[in-house]
Amino acid sequence: MDEVADKITAILKKNMKEPPETIALDTKLSDLEIESLDLAVIVFDIEDAFGIQIPYNANEDVQDFATVGSVVERVKALIDAKAA
Amino acid sequence: MAGPNEARRVVVTGMGVVAPTGIGVDEFWANTREGTCAIGPITGFPLQDLYITIAAEVKNFDPQKYNLSKLLLLADRYSQFAGVAAAEAMSMAGIEGKVANGERAAAVIGSGIGGLNTLEKGYEDIFVLEKKATHPLTLLRTIASSAVAHVSIDYGLKGPAFGTVSACSTASHAIGLTYQMIRAGMVDFGVAGASEACLTYGSMRSWQALRVLSPDGLWPFAHRRNGTVLAEGAGLLVIEELEHARARGATPLAELMGFGMTSDAGDMVNPDIDGPTNAMKIALDDARLSPGDIDYINAHGTATTANDINETAAIRKVFGKDAEKVSISSTKSMHGHCLGAGGGVEAVAAVKAMQDDYVPATIGFDEPGKNCDLDYTPNEGRSRQLNYVMSNSFAFGGLNAVLVFGPPPA
Repeated sequence: MDEVADKITAILKKNMKEPPETIALDTKLSDLEIESLDLAVIVFDIEDAFGIQIPYNANEDVQDFATVGSVVERVKALIDAKAA
Repeated sequence: MAGPNEARRVVVTGMGVVAPTGIGVDEFWANTREGTCAIGPITGFPLQDLYITIAAEVKNFDPQKYNLSKLLLLADRYSQFAGVAAAEAMSMAGIEGKVANGERAAAVIGSGIGGLNTLEKGYEDIFVLEKKATHPLTLLRTIASSAVAHVSIDYGLKGPAFGTVSACSTASHAIGLTYQMIRAGMVDFGVAGASEACLTYGSMRSWQALRVLSPDGLWPFAHRRNGTVLAEGAGLLVIEELEHARARGATPLAELMGFGMTSDAGDMVNPDIDGPTNAMKIALDDARLSPGDIDYINAHGTATTANDINETAAIRKVFGKDAEKVSISSTKSMHGHCLGAGGGVEAVAAVKAMQDDYVPATIGFDEPGKNCDLDYTPNEGRSRQLNYVMSNSFAFGGLNAVLVFGPPPA
């Protein structure tokens, strides 16, 4: 995994009560028992870590937040958009 | 149900409202009947970097217009809302100035948060502007008991006086507790409800961070719903023991017949079905009514994904086959989510609906949302005989309060 993915998995683990040893890119957030309030906190931490703003709405079923990999891709896109 | 409740009967003799859809019951109800939406771009403060930029504000609120006491003119906006609503409710109840027997009168006026405009200004003064002192009234304006203290002072209400705090169920808890005190014989009447004025930059930032606000509208139970919209206001009732009202020649507007309160004891943001279900059941049992007696439910209906599905499921559990024939609407679609004051504003809407035999609409409804399959009175209000009505409040933290109103006793 790359630096962005490493940072994101570290943030996920920080916000879990009993984090697993390894979190793969294809791991579903639902399998990590991450619920809407957890996700709001995780998104906040990610925004803070990367200096980006993620327009996440807990009322919408967003594919960007389905798996760890999809979160990583979304964050990379936002980092690129900010640099552009 | 068994025979009538043996407890003392409690009637509503006055109502007062300050809402984005109207200051005063007449304007509020006319706009509610017409389906007027008060949600729009925030105008009350600079938006800076907010990306949620809509709310339902009480516009053109000039405290000087309302003959408030000097103390209230110096108070926070949330207390002033309560003062204006109390003046209307007391006047409607035929009570002017200090009451005669204040020891037998309660004032229970809560707030989700209290004087947030004052608190935020105070913090700006000391942390940002580095002023040498905050305004001397910062503390008295901020505390969430200041609204009830002001109303107690203005009307000489010398019995139980306090605020409730239960987020979006605050006003319903206040009204329900006052009702119980009257029934228990502790007091003969009271002014009850809640007030909220927390549309500030800092508050919007904290709500935005919770990711539950819609960027474009509040559409309860609808397919397109995508979150709630913050609002402000106050909703207060004067409620009193039936014979007390009759003795002083007051006109009962409705009977407050039942109150149910429960806690999910589950999650801070994800509601469950059993808590709201049991609150509705307790309120119905308290009123000695069957589910089929209820003609209209003013739903909590916040337009969040979770609330609307859960509330629908809870109504189905309580009402069974009668769920198909009860009229439901969420007037939040018009006045927004008044937070702590919501249950008070909505109690006024529920009583007016009953008085007028008119079900207000859930506006902005495109098509039913997933698992939202009841009659939410989409887009158009309608005339229907309303004998008994229910008002639901289900708050963050799983704090539930339900009120049931019926016709004024003959």
